[in-house]
Amino acid sequence: MWMAYGFMMPAAILVAVLMYWPMIATVRESLFTTSFINPKPQFVGLKVYADIFSDPVFWQVVRNSIVWTLGVVLLQNVLGFFIALLLNQHLPGQGILRSLILLPWVLPGVVAAILWRFMYDPQLGLINSFVLRFGLADRGIAWLADPSIAMAAVIFVAFWKGFPFSTVIFLAALQNVDQEQIEAAKVDGAGPVRRLFDVIIPAIIPVAVVNFLLTTILTFNYFDIIYVLTRGGPLNSTAIFPTQIYEIGFGQFRFGEAAAYGTLSVVILVMIVAVFMLIRRPLLSHREV
Amino acid sequence: MTKRIRYPLLLCLQLVTATLVLLPFFWMFSVSLKPATEPFAIPAQLWPDNPTLENYILALRPEFQRYFLNSVIVCGATLLITIPLALLAAYSLSRFQFRLLSVFLGAVVLAQFFPAGAMIIPLYKIVRSANLLNTYLGLIIAYITVTLPVAIWMLRGFLLKVPKTLEEAAAVDGASPLRAFFDIVVPLARPGIIATSVFVLIVTWQEFLFALSFTSSKEMRTLPVGMNDYIGQYGIRYGELMASSVMISLPVIAIFFFLQRQFVAGLTAGAVKG
Amino acid sequence: MPKLKTLLATSALTMAGVLAVASAASAQTVLRFWDNQQTESGLSKFQQEAVKRFEEENPDIKVEVTTIPYPEYQQRLLTAVQAGNGPDVSTVDQIWNAAFAEAGAIVAVDDLVAGSSISPEDFFPGAWESVTYQGKTWGVPFNVDVWFFAFVNKALFEEAGIDPASITTWEGLEAAAPALTDPANGRFAIGLTGNKSEYPVVMTNSMIYSNGGVVLDENGKCALTSPEAIEALEYYKRMTQYAPSGILNAANEQMRELFLNGTLAIELWPALEQPALDSSNIDWDLYAGFAPEGKTPVGTFGGWNLVVYESSPNKEAAWKFIEFMTREDVNGDVVDLIPANVKAASAFLEENRRKPDVILEHLNNAKPRPLSPQYLQVSEIQQNMVQQMLSGTPVEEAAAAACEAIDNL
Repeated sequence: MWMAYGFMMPAAILVAVLMYWPMIATVRESLFTTSFINPKPQFVGLKVYADIFSDPVFWQVVRNSIVWTLGVVLLQNVLGFFIALLLNQHLPGQGILRSLILLPWVLPGVVAAILWRFMYDPQLGLINSFVLRFGLADRGIAWLADPSIAMAAVIFVAFWKGFPFSTVIFLAALQNVDQEQIEAAKVDGAGPVRRLFDVIIPAIIPVAVVNFLLTTILTFNYFDIIYVLTRGGPLNSTAIFPTQIYEIGFGQFRFGEAAAYGTLSVVILVMIVAVFMLIRRPLLSHREV
Repeated sequence: MTKRIRYPLLLCLQLVTATLVLLPFFWMFSVSLKPATEPFAIPAQLWPDNPTLENYILALRPEFQRYFLNSVIVCGATLLITIPLALLAAYSLSRFQFRLLSVFLGAVVLAQFFPAGAMIIPLYKIVRSANLLNTYLGLIIAYITVTLPVAIWMLRGFLLKVPKTLEEAAAVDGASPLRAFFDIVVPLARPGIIATSVFVLIVTWQEFLFALSFTSSKEMRTLPVGMNDYIGQYGIRYGELMASSVMISLPVIAIFFFLQRQFVAGLTAGAVKG
Repeated sequence: MPKLKTLLATSALTMAGVLAVASAASAQTVLRFWDNQQTESGLSKFQQEAVKRFEEENPDIKVEVTTIPYPEYQQRLLTAVQAGNGPDVSTVDQIWNAAFAEAGAIVAVDDLVAGSSISPEDFFPGAWESVTYQGKTWGVPFNVDVWFFAFVNKALFEEAGIDPASITTWEGLEAAAPALTDPANGRFAIGLTGNKSEYPVVMTNSMIYSNGGVVLDENGKCALTSPEAIEALEYYKRMTQYAPSGILNAANEQMRELFLNGTLAIELWPALEQPALDSSNIDWDLYAGFAPEGKTPVGTFGGWNLVVYESSPNKEAAWKFIEFMTREDVNGDVVDLIPANVKAASAFLEENRRKPDVILEHLNNAKPRPLSPQYLQVSEIQQNMVQQMLSGTPVEEAAAAACEAIDNL
């Protein structure tokens, strides 16, 4: 098993060089007055952070990021799980459907976002053509232009784009559920709902935990969808960390502030994941009992 | 619930799911068939009045073929390197206690927390000082750093479900650990391996940020970055963009369509031996 | 860490020896030129021909052209320049020019201009203004256009019984708008934007300029609270009731699709929109925007300048290339907007555009956006201001907040 260490070394070096070194450079940059128009940055300690904390937009970004992450992760995994259950029944057409549902996930993020910006368009969009046809409203709804619903609209797109990931993983996990246990539960007279909660869900919890964690991290750092759909607007109602970092850094040439936002985003994500781990613990131990 | 009610209900549910998931894609397909000169109708039409393949012909330009080749090379190499490495690592992690490996895995997972957008410039500097800008190798290395950790992590979850008793039985029968690994563990973990491969393939197939930052010439672009060719400051060429996207997506779907038989094969294997 | 880097570098080098891009060794100077691809035109073909011509005229220089799609241009250029790996010469957006100068990334070309055939009078005044920062010249204008021209759909005007020429005044447009708007039948008078982008900024700026106002006064202080500016912003806000719904996320690309399918009576675009309209079925005409009765419409300048990089070892060759690209007989072939060279522009417009004199006059009147190294932050504040005022905040309040933010930069 020294082999394991052997090939872990190059991987470890790669991760150190390609992930940690840039991150350290980023943290360092956030302590200076770094910006494109200021070629000789000065050390200012935590001043950049102090400025950010006193900016109401930052707190809006924190709130939005949490809502966005929770919304997408819950939708994606809960519905993704039910779709996996559905595709695990022996129904006609499932082979092709199992493949086709991957489509949203395969599309490049930018293309998916452009497609949905078009779908949501108040005049040209397909969604509003249904809304009008079924008389749900007398004018097209401006899904992305209303600060009170824009976040829900972008969350839905991310769910559409991301659920196949959860579904595929759950589908694979369902293959490992012990059929004998299911049969035994049937013999005991357990209905489908009880079998679901007593046999299936406990069996897939380890995979579910990985799924939740992974999607949390991927969603929190997901950039394309919001950037193309709204660029964080209207009125910053959909601004999350990745879009804000890009907007400040590359959109406005303020690298130092973008670096500080980047550092803070790691802190916030660690906090979100820590809360998740606290919730997870009783779940896992319950299963082992 | 009796079977008689359940079956049609499930069929209905499946139909609804399929429609909701595939409708946007269907519309995309419809836009890809719309002639560029035909304006968008209000209300939106599900099918264009004069469908044509002209967008596909335009989209199949030499650049697209080149991007396609680049994507195949980069994604294929990443997949072929990631899965065996990840499988071995995940196996060690699921069977033996390696403190150092766990620490490494934790560090790797933490690295996924980092905001890519804030690290582009430092990352670019590193890749440049290693002389790997604008090379396949540079991109493959960057992709492996993303896919390997996640693949290890995912596979470990699946391997934990493979009962240890089977290997122990094989050991009693005189099989070497390596034999046991290939003959027992790998087949049982097949659905997990396929799911992970699909994950790796799709993540790299649509990866954008590294591909954008580490390549500079047109000859080295991958498909997702190549889509930018259709997006101008003053407008988007929707038809060609959508046509290209259809052509980008279908190969991956086709691959999975063939793989998913294996997926089901895994199911029977699990049922028999479980 | 440095050790790891070297390790990676050496191992990678051995492995990738074949793949690494090796630069061809020769006595020729290799000039790296970056440009972005803004529109659908097949411009690159003409650019390649021009480059060939340049190489024939200058056999000791070889030009390596990199054409980068518009959406990624800013990131690529910034990343490369910041890492010291930028090109020798490139185009930059007018609104980046001051920042690039302040950053020390590009060189002042005053001496070079003095000793060359290039003279400021050959270019549109607003364009030359955009290469000037702190009394020095930081590049040469390459191409230009004006936000905005008012393109009209003649059929929709006829249907409503309105003379399209009446919309060249604010009063006329406001009087005509209700008759041109009928949401139930998918008709709107005018396409306006309010999304997070540069569009609402150039649109409201043009309103402000046309009313005699400015964004920053001559002392660099925010002038958005001046009566002229407030009046213009109020006007913009009022006009949005005749624009398609969803203004807070409305982008110009959408407005274009709506004009092309006959939903909009008026769309606001630079003159470069003409080829797209010519290939459509729309019977269209254009006017040089609109202004209050008795005033002249003043548009917002847009365009790209050619700059030489401080890091370039080939500054002389780079300058030769700039001289060539902005020459009267070349400039028109290599741009997809309008040549910044006035003589080249006249010929270009005469040949390619409807109403060339209207366009030329609008170009001569147009004003650039504030020439501040912090322009992009100013723009962001203006974008927020527009979103605020279009979602219920009184215009004066939104403008006051914007001015406070701008003056605090």
